[in-house]
Parts: sequence; C-alpha cells; structure tokens
Amino acid sequence: MSGPLILGIETSCDETGVAVLEGLEVRSSVLASQVEEHARFGGVVPEVAARAHVEAIRPLAHQALTRAGVHPDQLDAVAVTRGPGLSGALSVGYAYAKSFAYSLGKPLYGIDHMEGHLFAPRLSFPGYEPPAVVLLASGGHSQIVHVKAWGAYEILGGTIDDAAGEAFDKLARFMGLGFPGGPAIDADSVGGDPDAVKFPRAVRDRPFDFSFSGLKTSVITYLEKARENDSLPPRSDISASIQEAIVDVLIEKTFNAVEATGVEIVGAGGGVLANRRLREKLIERAESKGVGLFIPEPSLCLDNGAMIAGVAIEKLNQGAAPDALTLDVDPGMTLA
Amino acid sequence: MRTLAIETATPASSVAIGDGADLRAMSVNVDSRGHVGFLIPAIDFCLNQAGWEPSDIELVAVDIGPGPYTGLRAGIATAQAFAAAVGAQMAPVSSLTVIALRAATGRRRIWPVVDMRRGLVAVAPYRPLPGGVAPDGSPEVVNPQDFKALLESEPSESLVVGDWQALPETTWTGMHRVRRGRPRYPSAETLIEIADMRQRLDKLAGPGDVRPMYMREPDVQINWKSFRSEGAWPSD
Ligand SMILES: [Zn+2]
Repeated sequence: MSGPLILGIETSCDETGVAVLEGLEVRSSVLASQVEEHARFGGVVPEVAARAHVEAIRPLAHQALTRAGVHPDQLDAVAVTRGPGLSGALSVGYAYAKSFAYSLGKPLYGIDHMEGHLFAPRLSFPGYEPPAVVLLASGGHSQIVHVKAWGAYEILGGTIDDAAGEAFDKLARFMGLGFPGGPAIDADSVGGDPDAVKFPRAVRDRPFDFSFSGLKTSVITYLEKARENDSLPPRSDISASIQEAIVDVLIEKTFNAVEATGVEIVGAGGGVLANRRLREKLIERAESKGVGLFIPEPSLCLDNGAMIAGVAIEKLNQGAAPDALTLDVDPGMTLA
Repeated sequence: MRTLAIETATPASSVAIGDGADLRAMSVNVDSRGHVGFLIPAIDFCLNQAGWEPSDIELVAVDIGPGPYTGLRAGIATAQAFAAAVGAQMAPVSSLTVIALRAATGRRRIWPVVDMRRGLVAVAPYRPLPGGVAPDGSPEVVNPQDFKALLESEPSESLVVGDWQALPETTWTGMHRVRRGRPRYPSAETLIEIADMRQRLDKLAGPGDVRPMYMREPDVQINWKSFRSEGAWPSD
C-alpha cells in the first residue's frame, strides 16, 4: 500500500494520540492515556488534561515518527484535531502541530474530532464506505450521524443531556465503582441479571435522540429506597440492569436511523464501544437486519491520532485547502 | 547562534529572532486570548524580515512561566515543535527572570511580579549585577498581604517591577523603601539576550528538558456534587 505520509495529532480530551499514516495504512499509532490522573478526581479535569498533554506531546510525536521509520521531512502533511473538545487541551496539540508543520514547510489540516471517529472504521475495513449510519458514544459525545459521503454529514440525533460514557461515569460513581464508569460497570455486571430492574429507556417523539437523566434519577431513587428498606439487590444485578438500559437505548436509536435512511452499513466509534454488551447486541441486531456492521478495534474506537490523519488523507484526495496560519482551535466545532 | 524567542507567559505575547544577542525582528501582541493564532504568523513575519528560513534557526528560547497556563502551554508547545522539527537546541527561561533583567536599577533588590489571577501573584527576589541580575531566593506564589510582608522584611530598599498593577493599591501604603517600576510584561527581545548568555555559558537544553513552571496545583472542579462519593453500597 502507498499514499501520502501524514502525521496525525489528537489532544481534544484526556488521551494524547499521535500516529503516522501512509495512505490508509497505519504505520504507527501511539497513545498516552490520562485515565489514572483523572481517576483521582472521578472525572476529566480540563486543567489536569492540558498539563498532561504538554508533557506527552513531544515524546509521543517523536515515538510515532521513529516507530514508523519516517523522517519529518518525508511527511506530506500534518493533521490535528481543531475541535470540538476542551479548549486548553486542544490548544496544546494545535499549537504543536501548527509549529511542526510550519517549520517543516508542510501543510496543516485542522480536523473535526467527530469526523475522525466517523472515519476510523475505514482504517480497519476497506468495505466501510458511505452511505452509512454511525453511532458515536464516548464520555464526551453521543451522536447518531448519517454519513452520506466523506465530508457530507447529517447529525440525526444525539443525547439531550449526558453523553453515554458520562452516564456510565456518574452512575458508577454513585455506586462506588470508580472511574471510568463504563469499564467498571461492564466488569461489575458479570453474572448479574440484566432484567433484574427495568430502568426507563425511551425519549418519546424523538426517534434518534436519547437522554440519560431519567435513568440516573430512576437508579438513584431505586437504590435509595432499597437501602432504606434494607433490600439492596446484588450490585451486579444493578450494574447489568443499568448497562442493559443504556445499551438498549443506543441500539434502538441507531437502528431507527438505519431504517429511516435505508443505509446498509453501520459504523461505530467512541470509548463506549469497548462495552461488551453493546458490541454483542449491535452484532445481533445488525445480523437480524442484514446490514454490514463495522466496529474498529478498540485502539481506533478510543480517541487516537490515526483517525485524525485518516480524515486528512480524504481531504488531500478532495484537494481541500490547508488551515491558514492565523487559525486557532475551535472548541465548539460542529460537523454539520 | 540564530535564535527564535517565544514569549507567552503574560497577556502580552511576543516573538523575536536574533543573531546572537542582536535583535533582528520582533512582533508583539497584547491580547491574552490570541496566542495560538498569533504565534506562527508572527514567527513567519520575523523570519521574512531577516530573510531566514525556519531551518536556519539553531536555538529556540521560550518563557516557561510562571504565568496563566493556556498561553504558556501554547508557547511551549510551539517552541518544542519548532525545535524538534529543525533540530534546534532550547533555552527555557522563567518569566520572572525576563522581567527582572529589564528592570533598570543600580543597587535595589528587584522583585518582579506576574499576575497569577484569583488574587495571587508570582514573585521572586533578584540581585542586580553589572550587566545582569542573579536570583536571590526562590520564586513563590503569594497573596497581596504576604507579598507586602515579604517587602517589609527586606533589609534594604527594593524595586517592584512587572504587573504590580494587579495588586491592590493598599499594598503600597507605608512602603517608603519600595519603588515601583517597569517593565510591566516580559518581552521576547529580552529572551534573545538571555539565550545568548546561556549559550556562552554552555547552558542550553534539549526539548525534553523544557516544561511549564506552574507553581500552582491545577484547579479541580467536578460538577457532581449531587452524587455521593461513598457509593450506595457499603464499601467492600
Ligand atoms: Zn472522541
């Protein structure tokens, strides 16, 4: 395989990711996770994230290039997340990427983080091509997107309040399960009965939107009452029931979108896709509906530099103009 | 050495290039939020003025703080990436030193001030030397009362420079042996000078040795007060 050599940098939230792509082949992809630093606080702290990025960015960029066996002069472009995300975190990666590109005389492409997630399955599966419906679920975002073509997106729906990963985090915290909540609840649910408690799911009248505040309230009310009555069920039953409720909502809304658009391809990305129950049920539902399902490997589901470089390759193919030197980050960037 | 200097530790950011200690071009921007958009165009402008290419730069000097963090980090990331890309050495310099060096005084002890927001300032004492300054104690982050106490305990006359306007006027009442002076902000021009001194002393650094000088723990705010931290189940 061959194609342009792109350095991709991602620092929008709590992972520093740097990768080198040659065409759609990932030559190297390295990541510094800050999970442990944020676990002390029970959530992502913007200032802590920005501090960790500035520590990690230079060694990671060096490592990604070395592992790929690529000299900076050989690069065709530098790609970096410009938004959406935490502004202090974004500005570390954006400043680094811009300076690196400028001093090497290479073009810089500022990429929408969400577009990176939408593109990520393409790096694992050549058959993943638009039109598709993509479920994005992580601690920072929950969206259902209709990818009509690369660069042409319609956000069909998303969360009205918390992101799916955030709902996991908050509920895990309430249950004393630690951070991040998704993996904690996933692990705790083993052997639990997912039908033990039927927690609420639907947002009425909005086929592609979801909300997790009702679930949160319901779980808290249920547990407080149970504690008062000294009738707390096994914790694994509650974990399994919470997980089932969140997973059901994500699946239902995704496949509502598949039906409405008539697409035959479903993609998925974001940290919540590491959840085993969600993967299981997505596979089940895709099979029964006869649509192709593309969930990339976990390292490409999480925030990473490869997906950002991937979008830049698509931009190069389309002859898109690089970022002006005067541009700054755009924390509120939106896809469509 | 052909030097690029990047200064973003305070609301006044600046970029300069110099040949040794000789300033060749400079660009200044007084807008606390414009760092990322300002820096590269400013560097480009300065290099064009001198007729240099990025790859001509052999040394990158950068202010590592203390100072408000977002700008500081943008400056450091820009400096590190530049040095890494062109294979330049680095000179990390404290904002307090940059301000102190510009303070003109013969004998008074110099106290540069950087506004750290939330009612706090970073300060450090410097001793004037012929042609320079030397640190004369450790930098600290203090509130106005503590700074006043520090100055009152000074055995000799002192000169307060930097952003002392960030302090309340009452800080100066009764302080007869304290004078206030300029500059208010550090400048990349001074960084060029300091980088040249460091080079002569053979005290340059690699990009891996450069990190921000925060002097304060991160502000931590998690908006989940309605949630119990101990969890619903008794801890197991
Ligand atoms: Zn993400």
